[in-house]
Amino acid sequence: MNDVIKKEHVFAHPIQKVWDAISKAEEISKWFLKTDFKAEKGFKYTFQSSGEADCTQITGEVRSADPYTLIYTWIVKDTNVETVVCWELEETDEGTKLYLKHSGISNYPENSAVTFFNSFDSGWEHCVNDLKSFLKEEVHAG
Amino acid sequence: MQDNITKIFKAIADPKRREIFHALIIASSALSITQICGQFSISRQGVTKHIKTLEEAGLVTISSQGRERFCMADAQPLKQVSEWMKFYEKFWDGALDNLGAYLDES
Repeated sequence: MNDVIKKEHVFAHPIQKVWDAISKAEEISKWFLKTDFKAEKGFKYTFQSSGEADCTQITGEVRSADPYTLIYTWIVKDTNVETVVCWELEETDEGTKLYLKHSGISNYPENSAVTFFNSFDSGWEHCVNDLKSFLKEEVHAG
Repeated sequence: MQDNITKIFKAIADPKRREIFHALIIASSALSITQICGQFSISRQGVTKHIKTLEEAGLVTISSQGRERFCMADAQPLKQVSEWMKFYEKFWDGALDNLGAYLDES
């Protein structure tokens, strides 16, 4: 067991389309969290909530943004703990394969876990759920 | 405070220590160092070292009775670790679902 979350996912879409979705502010804001993100090394971004005031804010700095690898630090507001999120895209026959890595989770101080989870239960997670239903509605409307 | 979780990760990163910890959990009572040595083909010194790492992570408590030391497992600290991991597992699964739906739509 280690403290890295790894996800792999294949999207039946061209690599540039997936890259735009994860690296352009207006697109990230549609499926993830509202943001001023810029895929430029050193850019300091903020992930806002999806319009809910009680949602937890994420900030961080872009470490690397060369197609098709995107790496940024991930700091949850009020924790001051830096973790790192890495998106890597690879062209495949089916479309695009994404390797997502979120490392440094063991950096969180133990005593903040409970507060953090409580705030997420009522906050952030519910924001992501909101986003999900928003996307579903969009799909149905379209 | 900050490195408590790091200690836990260090403690459970080693397969032998996981085995020892597992054996202590299964025993659900305190085992002496001698008893633990009897279950694993490693030296007493090796077992003592592993136990010490587990103790530093709060996963094992040691009490002395006479000349023998008894070890007891405590799984509570693991809960902290798995909660962090569990949260982000779920979070990223949700995010990737959203990304997939978004890509299909746009």
